[in-house]
Formats: sequence, structure tokens, C-alpha cells
Amino acid sequence: MHRLKPHVRFLALTLIPLLTLLTACESTPTAAPTPIPPLPSATPGPTPGGKIIYGLTLAPSGIDPHVDASSELGIPLTSVYDTLIYQDLDGSFVPGLAERWEVSADGLTYTFHLRRDVKFHDGTPFNAQAVQFNLERIANPETRSRKARGMLGPYDHTEIVDEYTVRVHFKQPYAPFLDSASQVYLGMASPTAVQRWGADYQLHQVGTGPFIFQEYVPNDHLTLVRNPEYAWAPEVYDHNGPAYLDEIEFRFYADPAVRALALESGQADVMGEIPPQDATRLEGNQAFTLYKVPIPGQPLQFFFNTEKPPTDDLRVRQALLYATDRQAIVHTIFQDYSPVAHGPLSAVTMGFTPAVEGRYAYDPALAAELLTQAGWTDSDGDGIRDKEGQPLVLQAYLMTWGYLPEVGQMLQAQLRAVGVELQTQTVAFPAAVEAAGKGEHHLAPMVFSGSDPSVLNSTYLSANAEGGFNWSRVRDAELDRLLNEGISTLDPNRRADLYAQAQTRIMDLALVLPVRDYVNLNAAKATVKGLRFDRRGWFPWLHDVYVNK
Amino acid sequence: MLRYVGRRLLGAIPVLWGVATLVFVIMRLLPGDPAALMLSESGGSAQAVAELRHSLGLDDPLPVQYGRYLFDLLRGKLGTSLFSHRPVVTVIAEQLPGTIELAVAAMLVAASLGTVLGVLAAVKHGTWLDTLAAALSVVGVSLPIFWTALLLIWLLSLKLGWLPATGQEGVASLIMPALVLGFASSGAIARLVRASLLEVLGADFINTARAKGLSERVVILRHALKNALIPVITVMGLQFSFLLGGTVVTETIFSRPGIGRLMVNAILWKDFPVVQGVVLLAALVYTTMNLIVDVAYAYLDPRIRYD
Repeated sequence: MHRLKPHVRFLALTLIPLLTLLTACESTPTAAPTPIPPLPSATPGPTPGGKIIYGLTLAPSGIDPHVDASSELGIPLTSVYDTLIYQDLDGSFVPGLAERWEVSADGLTYTFHLRRDVKFHDGTPFNAQAVQFNLERIANPETRSRKARGMLGPYDHTEIVDEYTVRVHFKQPYAPFLDSASQVYLGMASPTAVQRWGADYQLHQVGTGPFIFQEYVPNDHLTLVRNPEYAWAPEVYDHNGPAYLDEIEFRFYADPAVRALALESGQADVMGEIPPQDATRLEGNQAFTLYKVPIPGQPLQFFFNTEKPPTDDLRVRQALLYATDRQAIVHTIFQDYSPVAHGPLSAVTMGFTPAVEGRYAYDPALAAELLTQAGWTDSDGDGIRDKEGQPLVLQAYLMTWGYLPEVGQMLQAQLRAVGVELQTQTVAFPAAVEAAGKGEHHLAPMVFSGSDPSVLNSTYLSANAEGGFNWSRVRDAELDRLLNEGISTLDPNRRADLYAQAQTRIMDLALVLPVRDYVNLNAAKATVKGLRFDRRGWFPWLHDVYVNK
Repeated sequence: MLRYVGRRLLGAIPVLWGVATLVFVIMRLLPGDPAALMLSESGGSAQAVAELRHSLGLDDPLPVQYGRYLFDLLRGKLGTSLFSHRPVVTVIAEQLPGTIELAVAAMLVAASLGTVLGVLAAVKHGTWLDTLAAALSVVGVSLPIFWTALLLIWLLSLKLGWLPATGQEGVASLIMPALVLGFASSGAIARLVRASLLEVLGADFINTARAKGLSERVVILRHALKNALIPVITVMGLQFSFLLGGTVVTETIFSRPGIGRLMVNAILWKDFPVVQGVVLLAALVYTTMNLIVDVAYAYLDPRIRYD
């Protein structure tokens, strides 16, 4: 092995520049002219060509965006599919495959006017039939969609008005549809390819995006190559015309411990979900750039079970909130990369209300007072409060993701200081979902991401208390009214107001213990330029990425 | 011999049926509703969960589900993965080569390292070499795989840059996982080779061989070792099954595709059909390995006859 090393280095030193030269020579004459936007400064501009290795976290079980649900699938596929519309970083919606759209006054019909110059990677023309085919595919119960179907809400059917106009009809007014239509899960797939490949379509995906899906070997790698004909970039991208990179290879790094190592040893160029400790190290190294991307949706939070004593008592739940030093948790465990969470939505979510900020600032004295008011005192002097002979013991289910065991430990110590014993149990995800679904917990953690505030509906509507994800098991008529109106009200200001009231209501009822707003720590070699992430925080816009040699 | 093999193969059928039933029952006893899990990433409504459960046939009575499962098995159908919605056979076939590659390479490491250490320890019985071999075996058995793996990655990839840290590209990326996994198994083999060889070296036929004037090398390698290896073969067969288990951790750390990772994910996410398929495959491997070991006995030791 000693002898191998110089060989390898020699080969690398000679072959890599040679190959890059060759590929550069090869691609220059054949590639369509690439309009490069002039840059103001003297920094070297984007140069087409090159390949990057992009590290993903867990290997998704299925990667058909219409069928599957993971965020990981969206990271590569956001560049394979275009969507009808796009959401810009400021939250506004801009044209995509649809040049413009109208929403009927009753909120039941969305009309999309489509671009006429778009072709799928397999040559199939993009038109109204394709849109109808895609939406009907998602809505079909046989598809067993895990996410996209939910995003269609009360979808009824799609009507073809003419070759380039479609009308999407809903059974009830559905405000989040623009948000849904701008996500990869509702990306437009080639009807020809879907019909041709059937159940195997996920291995042969065909979209209209800047990159072509070339090969996917489950658990191993996924390769995208540039779409040379791409000429319909949405304005959220920095340039029109084909993407800069020739090729992107995605690999899977399930073990968080090896992610930074793979980056530092040169195996990967970009890596997602770096552990906070490794992020600090990479941030101090000029060879790498750390991207701290806030994720909208629900923060890392514990749902209090409002049906099981003693968390059925509002004063107890409030006391738990006051007793938790979230700043300390964020500092110790998340190395201050995440902001403290204040309410049921993270601060970057559309409709977040600052009214919840500081609502339950750390105040152990107040926590103690509330517990005493609720009748919990330490009558036997063992340090744990009790009432009618019962000690104040709470059950928390933890899981192995998201540093929950560590968070649980700190929480345990903080609650112990006000006389509450938190018993934690670290269980596998299915067991936690089962236990929380049945209401066996006092505290159960969960994160749901989503850029529309309607992400609150699945966890706080009383209809979802049995068999759904309403783990605080709240059945509150006022909250139901606000959330149901919120999802069906089209006027953005009125919506924001409804969801602001809902967030305040949730914190008034002390239904959750928010811990931290989720921040996705990505890192890349400093030579990788132009990397930006969309508003959902998970999905990179790879169209503009180039490598500065 | 053929009749014996035939009888053993027939005997495997009730074993496989038992395993199939057991895994069916265990998977249903474990907490977690696949439909709720499938919608847990997106936070589906209670109604959506119920609809999905119905569409997957998971709201049917258990005997009905069991009957459907056995009927499918009899027709050679392992079903479709709930999560990747692809045939279980295809999913397993895709992941199997990576695991076999790793297990065989690790077995080679374990067998050669174990045999060399064991022979050295036995021949230099009571010297410092014996103690060193014993210490190495203990270290091999005791060190957790994930720790040795991370240590090797740090040393060989990050510090020295000799080998790729992760992935599956040719022989170079197989070296570290095979070393880590093989080293863990070599300890047990070394201990057994040593004990067994010591016993054989005391036997009369070894004295005869020495008396014939054969060199010590020939005595040990040709006469003693061949006889000493009989019990070792059994352990190697069992170790191979153990290695398949060890691939779970190894595959995860080295980001290699394989059955181990497939299985862990399938159990975690309650992907019934995949778990059932992989467990049946494992049962098949165990029964076959045992059969091979028994047949190898007859070959290695002419005294053993099965007819």
C-alpha cells in the first residue's frame, strides 16, 4: 500500500487535468451557446463544465416525487423536474412552466397558461395533456402517494381548456395550492415515460428540468447530466440556457459521523446535514464553505399530551415551558447554529407571528410557582414534587434522530431543577409514532417541514387526534375554526391573520414545547460556486452551480 | 451422500415455513403502523392514513393477511416493498452482490488471519507469540465494529489518503470494510485453531509423521492442520452467518449498498414484505451453510459417513 500511494497521486495529477481538458474540449463545440450573465466585479465568472459529487444523507426508499415523501429525493430531483410555478426566496410566486395563472374568486378553480416551447428530456412535448396526466396520476388512490396527494388538498379534477391551458378544479377553496404547485412533489413528469416504465418509473425519471436523470442505483448513487436544450429557466435561477455543470453524482452518507470526513478527504464536493460539531470545524477551514439554511415549517418540538394527567393541566404545561432553558440547549447541542424556537412555526415560515416570541422566556421561579398553584409540592422532601401521594413523573419518547437523546438529557436536568422527573425512553421511530399516536406519552418530539402555514393543520385539527399526527390530542373548536378557515382563505393578509391567531392560540394552550428552528447545515468545497437553496431550505438550485478551478 | 443431501433439503421446508410464520407474527407484534409511518414525513391527515391502510390491505384481519402471504409465497411471490414500491425480489437481488462481496472478502480476511494467528500460537505455545496472538484475538472480538471502522477511516483515508473513506468502487473501497469485519471474526477462529491444533499435535500420528523424518513444516501444515481444521470449518460456517449480521453496521458506516442496510431500514420502517423476504433469504443461507459444513466434514474426515 506504501507503494500504491505515489501511483495514485501521479495518476490523479496527470489524469484529472487531462480529462477535464478533454471534456471541456468535447463539450464546447456541441453545447448550445450559454448566455452568461455579466458579473459586476472582477471575480472569475461561471465556466461551464465539470462534475461534482453531492452527498445526501439517508438513501430514500423510493424516489418518485409523486409517490414518495422524503426531502432527500427532492435534492436531486428539483433539478430534473420543472414545476408549474416557482417560489422565489422572498416567498413570492413566479412563472415556471406556466407563464401566468388566475385563481377564481371562489377559490375553486386555478387556471394555468402554459409555455409553448417546453419539451421533456425524452422529446415528449409539454402541454395541457401532460399537466392533466400528472395531477391525475397523483390523485389516483392506486398511486398511494405519501405526500403529493396531500399537497393537492381537496383536488377534484383537471380540465383541458386548450393545448396550452388547463383548469384545476377543487371541491373546496384551497389556498396552499400555489405553494404545492411550486414544489418538486408536483413536478411535471413525461407521460410517455411514466406509461412506459410503470412501477419502475422511479429508476427512469423524465422531466423538463436543467438536468437529465441518467442513472440511479438504489443505496449507491444517482447521476444527473446536463440538459443541453434547457431554455426555459424560471427567473429564480440566475441564468437561462443550459446548466453549467456537465454532471452531478449524488451519493448517500447515512452515518452522520462520516459526512464531514467524506468532504475533507475529497470524496464529495457538497454535503448535506453536517453535524454541528463538524460544522464548527469546517467553518474554520478556508477550503470549505458552510451553508446554514433555515427550514420553514414546524420546529423541533415536543407535543404535550393534553389528555393524559398531569399534562392535561394547562398550568403544568406552562410550567414545563417556563422551566426549559432553550437557549442553553441550542448553545450546547446545536452550537448556536439554530435559533431558539418560540412557537409552532419556525421564524422563516410564511405567516409566522412574532407575537409568540418571548411568550415563555426561561423563568424557573415562575415555573415552580405554577406547579405549586396546580397542587404539586414536594411534601416528602425527595426533590420531586408530588400531589395526593403521586410523584410528578412524566414520560418522554425520544428517537435517535435530531440529537433527541442529547436534548432529552438536558431537558431532564432542567426539569429536575423545578422538581419534575422526566423519564425518557429512546425508541425506534415506528415505536414512537405508535406510542404518540395512541397518546401513551406526556411529551413526544416531531418535526414537520413545509413552507405554507397549513403545515399546522395536520398536527392541531381535532379530526387528526385519533389516527393522525395531532399528538397533543387537542380538540379545540376555536383552533379548528382558525385552521380550517386558514387553509381555505385566499386573501394573503386575512390568511396571515388567521394563522397568527392560531399560533397564539396554540401557545396560549401550551400545546407544544418548541426547542429550535431547524437549520440544515450544508458544506461544500470553496471551489463550488453559485450554490443556493430554495425557500424550503432543503432543495439546492443546481442549475447555477459551477466549479472554480 | 445424495440421498442424505436430498433428505436435508426436504427437511429445510418446514424450517423455512416456520421462519416465514415467525417473521410474519413478529413484524405484526412490533409497534408501528406502516400506513402512519408512510405518511409521517409529510404529516398526513387521519383520514389519509386510514385510506392508505385500506389500500395496502393492512386493515384486513390477520388470518386473512397471513393466508394471502403464504399463498403468495407458494407461488414464489415475495410481494412489493411498501416504501420503494418495487418487487422485493428485485430489491434484494440489487443489494445482494454488495453484501456477498463484503462477506466473502471479510471471510477471507478472518480465515487467513485467524489461521495464521492460531497456528503461530499453537506452534509457539507458551511463548510471547502465543500471548500476543491471544491478545490480538481478544482485541478483535471485543472492539466494536463501528469504532474500528471510524478509526481506520480517520487513519487510512483522512490522514494517509490511501483508501476511499466510503462507497463501493472496486477493490480499493472493499479493503477497509473487509478488514474491519474480518478482524472482528478472526479472533474466534484463531482461538479455535490454536486449541484444536494443540490437541492434534499431541496425537500419535503426528509422532509417527515426525518419526518418518518429515520436516516440521510438512508435519504441521499437511498433517496436523488438515485434521485440526475440522472443528474450525463448523465455526467458519457459523462465522459466515455472523458476518452477514456484521455487514449491517459496516455497510452503514462505509456507505455501501447491501442487504444489511436494506434490512435495518426495512425493519425500522416496518416494510413487511422486504423484512419477510430478507429473513427468508437469511434462513435459506443458514440452512445451506450448515449443509455445506456437514458435507465438508465428510470430505475432510473420511471417518464421517452419512449413508
